[in-house]
Amino acid sequence: MKRDPIVLLVVAVVISLMLVFGIQKTRHRPQHSGEKLEGQPAPDFSLSALDGKTLKLSDFHGKAVLLNFWATWCEPCKVEMPWFVDLQAKYRPQGLQVLGVAMDDASPKEISEFAKKMGVNYPIVIGKEAVGDEYGGIPYLPSTFYISRDGKVLERRFGLVSRSEIEADIQKALATPGQVAQK
Amino acid sequence: MWRTALLVSMLALGLAAADDLGLNRRSAVTFQAPELSSVHRGTASTVPLQFRIASGFHINSNQPKQEYLKKTELKLDPPTDIVIEKITYPEAQELSFAFAPEEKLSVYSGNFSIQVTVRPLQSVLPANYAVHGRLNYQACDKAACYPPKQLPVSFEVKVVKSAPGIKRNPAQSPHAHS
Repeated sequence: MKRDPIVLLVVAVVISLMLVFGIQKTRHRPQHSGEKLEGQPAPDFSLSALDGKTLKLSDFHGKAVLLNFWATWCEPCKVEMPWFVDLQAKYRPQGLQVLGVAMDDASPKEISEFAKKMGVNYPIVIGKEAVGDEYGGIPYLPSTFYISRDGKVLERRFGLVSRSEIEADIQKALATPGQVAQK
Repeated sequence: MWRTALLVSMLALGLAAADDLGLNRRSAVTFQAPELSSVHRGTASTVPLQFRIASGFHINSNQPKQEYLKKTELKLDPPTDIVIEKITYPEAQELSFAFAPEEKLSVYSGNFSIQVTVRPLQSVLPANYAVHGRLNYQACDKAACYPPKQLPVSFEVKVVKSAPGIKRNPAQSPHAHS
């Protein structure tokens, strides 16, 4: 059968375009190792809180957890924080726990002052890069993970998203089955 | 014809892969090394250092308004007898961004230049000298911020004998009699 050169060229171009778009689509996602974190148990950690106590993620088992990686130098993070404050107050009775992880080189005192200034009403722990790596790497901030009541990662959001999207993710996490927290 | 088709595919793939690697590895800010500048011993001269911020990004200026923001800062480690007299940062842009439209941030975006004033001491031997350093910056785009980074910076200056008429130390100058 004779091969039509035009057809071959078109096929080659189409395949190339598909591959190029595939690569581009991949690269627009954050580059982490943990591509399949959703649906997996959220990696537990033990980190120092601003009050000096040690907090574990597993301390909040039974609650829907909004795990927010942030830093004092991150302006978009500052936009979200008042929303988290409101949403924590609104959904606390239903079992929401917002937990901030400061990926900062500022001192705990500075972070504490910053949090106070922002009116934060939820615990903040001092982050470590290793913890970020456990979550597939935190290439930029804010990065937020939504964890179900039974401790699984439901969603992760990179960068600033709207309040309504945050609230929708919270409601999704709250709707997950699991024991009701006693804390 | 199959060869041509294969070649076209390989070329497109190669370009995409190269671009991809470039995007992932490049930093938000790049440095363009300046041409060799001649500077006279004992005389202050300005070397402009050119930087480019990738499209869609901004970095804080040298004097951000908000106390918690990371300022852009050039740190230089000059050789002995080459004095960095002054580092002059460009005028910042006062911009607001979608994440905080009511707030103005003091930032740099696009291309910017930092002026470095160098003065070789009279004692330095005429030769080429490399000045190494780093630009500390922290970049953000319209929705996210990236961790603080250090961009290596280096430039060379060619130290030449004092310009005619410069007599900082007449007792040691071969032209002291003039």
